Amino acid sequence: MTSETPDKKEIYRYLGYRNELPDERVVRKVDAAVEKLMPRLRPKSVYLEFPLEFCGNEESPALSFAGLTVQSNALWKHLSGCTSVILFALTVGPEPDRLIRRSEVDRISDAVIYQAVSAAAVESEADRLNEELIRSYGERGFSLKTRFSPGYGDFDLAFQKDFIRILNTPKAIGLTLTEGLLMIPSKSITAVIGVYRKESMNGSETSNENPT
Amino acid sequence: MKTPLERIRTERLFYDGATGTMLQKLGLQPGEFPETLNLTHPEMVEEVARQYFLSGADVVNTNTFGLNDLKFPGKAGEIARAAVGIVKRARETAGRSDGLVSLDMGPTGKLLEPLGDLSFDRAVSLYGEVAKAGEEAGADLILIETMGDIYEAKAAVLGAKESSSLPVLVTFTFDSSGKLLTGGTPETVAAVFEGLGADAIGLNCSLGPREMIPLIRRFREYSSLPLIATPNAGIPFVEGDRTVYPLSPDKFASVMEEIAGLGVQIFGGCCGTTPDHIRAMISRVREIPYEKPVKKERTLIAGQAEALEIGKKPLVIGERINPTGKKRFKEALKNHDVNYLMSQAIEEEQAGADVLDVNVGLPGIDEAEMMKDAVTSIQSVSFLPLQLDSSDPSALEKGLRYCNGKPLVNSVSGKEESLRNVLPLVKKYGGVLVVLPLDEAGIPATPEERIQVAEKVIRRAEEYGIERKELVIDGLTMAVSADPSFGETTLRTIRLVREQLGLPTILGVSNVSFGLPYRENLNATFLAMALNEGLSLAIVNPNSEGVMASYRAYLALSGQDDQFSSYIEAYRDVTGRELATAKTAGTEKTQEPGGRSSLFSAVMHGLPEEAKKLAKEALKETPPLELIDRELIPALDEVGRGFEKKRVYLPQLLMSAEAAKAAFEVVRSRLSGEGERKTAVKGRIVLATVKNDIHDIGKNIVKILLENYGYDVIDLGRDVPPEKIVETVVSEGIRLVGLSALMTTTVVSMEETIRELKAVRPDVLIMVGGAVLTPDYAKKIGADFYAKDAMESVRIADQVF
Repeated sequence: MTSETPDKKEIYRYLGYRNELPDERVVRKVDAAVEKLMPRLRPKSVYLEFPLEFCGNEESPALSFAGLTVQSNALWKHLSGCTSVILFALTVGPEPDRLIRRSEVDRISDAVIYQAVSAAAVESEADRLNEELIRSYGERGFSLKTRFSPGYGDFDLAFQKDFIRILNTPKAIGLTLTEGLLMIPSKSITAVIGVYRKESMNGSETSNENPT
Repeated sequence: MKTPLERIRTERLFYDGATGTMLQKLGLQPGEFPETLNLTHPEMVEEVARQYFLSGADVVNTNTFGLNDLKFPGKAGEIARAAVGIVKRARETAGRSDGLVSLDMGPTGKLLEPLGDLSFDRAVSLYGEVAKAGEEAGADLILIETMGDIYEAKAAVLGAKESSSLPVLVTFTFDSSGKLLTGGTPETVAAVFEGLGADAIGLNCSLGPREMIPLIRRFREYSSLPLIATPNAGIPFVEGDRTVYPLSPDKFASVMEEIAGLGVQIFGGCCGTTPDHIRAMISRVREIPYEKPVKKERTLIAGQAEALEIGKKPLVIGERINPTGKKRFKEALKNHDVNYLMSQAIEEEQAGADVLDVNVGLPGIDEAEMMKDAVTSIQSVSFLPLQLDSSDPSALEKGLRYCNGKPLVNSVSGKEESLRNVLPLVKKYGGVLVVLPLDEAGIPATPEERIQVAEKVIRRAEEYGIERKELVIDGLTMAVSADPSFGETTLRTIRLVREQLGLPTILGVSNVSFGLPYRENLNATFLAMALNEGLSLAIVNPNSEGVMASYRAYLALSGQDDQFSSYIEAYRDVTGRELATAKTAGTEKTQEPGGRSSLFSAVMHGLPEEAKKLAKEALKETPPLELIDRELIPALDEVGRGFEKKRVYLPQLLMSAEAAKAAFEVVRSRLSGEGERKTAVKGRIVLATVKNDIHDIGKNIVKILLENYGYDVIDLGRDVPPEKIVETVVSEGIRLVGLSALMTTTVVSMEETIRELKAVRPDVLIMVGGAVLTPDYAKKIGADFYAKDAMESVRIADQVF
């Protein structure tokens, strides 16, 4: 699997540029980094679907899936209406980390640029996989919520450990965790994606097309 | 009866299939650790093993794939013993007294340093613990499988061999492009694990049998060991929450039959295979005649990714990582400045070196420790194979142990002491050994006598079990200024080694010119002459344009540069090179309206080469300190203010910092006397990324800025334990410490570090930074300053000093 070039604007945004474009030399450096980095990415992903249960109450909201009980207001709200969740992990492999490390010794401005390019690349890989999932679940009458990762809001980062264990990511895609819960390769994403029936959002439209 | 090792070497063996797949059928849930079942449901595990023995498998794995002390603290040994007992019972109930019990060991689930945070030593001990318990409980052999990282597999083999006497088999999992997770290839695996004394190697998991075929061919081409193939039942796909493997027992077996014709000796199945797959495979493969592994005569070295074959195209070994005659290098070794070594490595690689020589011998330092740190840090930034270069056997041993890949070892001589010290190390760890054909009688004067000494060393190496193909012979370059015939003697030695011994050769080329002017010219010409005699490895300075030009020209002229692509790549622009440089400089050099100098402008615009050149020129008229105060610091300030006002962005800030750094290096080298140098240093600051945190790019950005502003930075690196920071602060009398942490989870270590620092040195000042920190949070954990970005840390330092 080869990767598509991530959106340049995203890369510039990671470098701190908001409403203006970088000067020509930075643009050239970014282009060179993209050219060097993209062929070295080795995107790999793994995901599994689990039934979702809501437990607890508004005061102390909790969710249960994949044998986990998660106390999180933010996730509770995010997944409302969902019947199951996809646990999902993706990495673009260890090459970005190596290039970044190497340029930290050699030329740190390059390190910052590799950092931005690979961060944008892993996001765009995740988006691509998301779209595939949206398509395949769509065919079966389901819709998907956006990705929600451990560490967002009050969704405890410590759940990384469970994601890694349940998806067996070290073996499946080479994604490991450090003692400090950092993912290695660092250009990786874990997330939960909520799954809900299309009817629960736009039921009338569906029933018109499918009178059964 | 044959021992297990004899059977591995002389028989076709059939392994079992998947354990995990079978246990899931019996009710194991995703995310549950299968190893626990050895204690909680031994009958379930025994049933799986029994079915595999009944299906005809000769070797059945224990249910210990993920077993180690990290996942099962304090219980790994107990579980290993139970697991071995279970498979022994299954062998008995299945009536297969001929069957073998294989202690199964998979990856730790952690990445090793420097990529991850598991130390090599800890990894060795994790595997060693399981291996020891397994042998005690009666396992017949060890299978290290599904390895995706050569370095971790090396730790596993060392752990297994140092803690048990069992045969060790190793299989790796490749992706469809033929790469391991961390970049290794089949050739690299063959080179490294044959060297480490694995008893069989091969492939498992990830791919189906069909996809494995091209990789099996590559293994067979390079490895002399029995070869193992245990593929998955095809490439899996996901269906809901289930992983489905597409190949039926029959289809699986028919491809395995094909594989049997490729020189594979050991067969089995991985994920998705069942006793039915194994039964079907055995009945088909049995029909194909057994082929013994064939000895290969290739001399291979390897970095952590690619392997290189010695004796084909001549290779360049970079000689710059060596303190001899280099003040700056010696200083780096004394200060344990591995960053300097890393930058030298990158420079040599960029200049075209194929291999990096690593020599860190210096009186007054612990060479063995330095060798370990040099090897691991250089390998964190370069994939090139290394040549470990030391006369101290303990330094060679450290290098061999911690080196990723298969190195050259420089060197052994015909001296008894050298033979006794070096040969056992190479036997244990593997490596291609450089032989100096000299002995107690000194350096032989004639090539013929050198050949005799070399022959003696070859015999001795073979007695130690080191194959002839693992040796290269040094032609012994000596300074022609001492005797003009020395050059010819060396060249004839190269020729004779090739003709009479048929072994590859190596030369430290640069020695030839010692004591004469324009050495580069002599080195370049001598290199060409030696290459023409068949030299395989040239130790040279790859930064020397003349030497590399000679090397590239030789390859082009001797038909070893396909389509002249390397030559053209290197010299395409050579005629117009000066013109081109002048042109770029001209367009990028902008005169500032305020009458600022071009040096100021070069720093502003982030042009390191330009800044360096201009600094050299400016020094002709301006004293160094004045240049720092009037040009460099104001330029940095200008950019820094722009950054603070968000007119300048981080990449530009850093490009300016790099330009300033290049200029500073020139300027500071001209500072005369202790007094001036002291004036130029504003203060000393310790920087560290705290324990458990390995993201240190922010800290490194702070470092380059502080250094530019005249601070002497002691960089302790990343994942630094509090006690090391405290110790440095105390022993160096430090007033300001900068700490970085990226995540909420590692801010905890930051808080702990601050507490320990303040307990020992209440007056020390601490600044902190990192993505999740805020001014309030910084105050709460006891920091004196919060730096929101790198410029802020400079302002803080200016305030403190």
